[in-house]
Amino acid sequence: MRVQVKLFAFFREGRFIKEERELPEGCTVGEVVDALHIDREEVGVLMLNSRHCQFDTNLHGGDIIAIFPVIGGG
Amino acid sequence: MVDNTLAVLPLLKEKVEDGYITLTAAQTVARQSSTTLASVESLAMQHSILPLRYKRNGLKPAEQLKLFSSTIAIIGCGGLGGRSAEILCRTGIGHLILSDPDFFSESNLNRQLFCTPASLGQPKVSILGRELLQINPALSTDLHHHHFDISSITGADIVIDALDSTGARKELAALCHKRNIPLVHGAVKGWYGQLGVESRSNSIINSLYQRPGKSTATPRVFPMTVALIAAMQATEACKLILDTGSVLNDGWLQCDLYNGDFEAIKQE
Repeated sequence: MRVQVKLFAFFREGRFIKEERELPEGCTVGEVVDALHIDREEVGVLMLNSRHCQFDTNLHGGDIIAIFPVIGGG
Repeated sequence: MVDNTLAVLPLLKEKVEDGYITLTAAQTVARQSSTTLASVESLAMQHSILPLRYKRNGLKPAEQLKLFSSTIAIIGCGGLGGRSAEILCRTGIGHLILSDPDFFSESNLNRQLFCTPASLGQPKVSILGRELLQINPALSTDLHHHHFDISSITGADIVIDALDSTGARKELAALCHKRNIPLVHGAVKGWYGQLGVESRSNSIINSLYQRPGKSTATPRVFPMTVALIAAMQATEACKLILDTGSVLNDGWLQCDLYNGDFEAIKQE
């Protein structure tokens, strides 16, 4: 299945801003995060089709996932 | 408010040129009438006379008066707080409540307004308060040199989140919800920043900081990212006061200065 992955802020560094990815059926959001070598502890927000989701949320063909790091400086 | 309006107004009107009053003239009227500069400027705006300093804002006297009659609480007076305070002071907000328990240190020099070699070791709120009055003597301030509490937001129309820790942000959001005061959130890291307006209908702090997150001892904080996010926080605060509406009340804005990319994230 094809899924669109969007990264934000410093998660883009050495990776990409937006990419279409071919993933196995039943893949979870967390597995995408891990495959991108993103530290789960650095993840602030996960969104699936503009709704908040969790690492164990299952993906379906055509989904758009967005992964945001925690940004906390002032 | 001036209680001797009848006496002050003629003095004021004498000195108006082309719909504007200069700072020197307003100060003279204040002295002659034994009242404050803030009262004279407020009275002027009530009578469609603009202090000359606001000429290039291009706002109507009624709008400028609305800003001048407003109180904004700035929680955290480091990078974001110092910049947004300066912009709000120049824009014409009449009253600022500034809260920060910290002192300027050398690693603040890259980004914090009014942090200079001479101000190192000084309380941030004291220096900021002093410099803002140099910019606009009609401004009034309340300085809280301690960790914020309910007194730091009491009387505020808008609160600005210029903090740098997740726990404090959640605490502040809870206080603002309790008092039903809109909270203009901003945060930065390196080339990246985010901002949004937290309210009862847009709970972004709990969304953005729902996970414990990994704490970085010394996060990168670039001066340009700080200046941008602080300017946008000041903008949103003024727009809320002027009732112009906001595109940031159903989500937040992600700002990526490295890639020149800005995206409004909607929360459903």
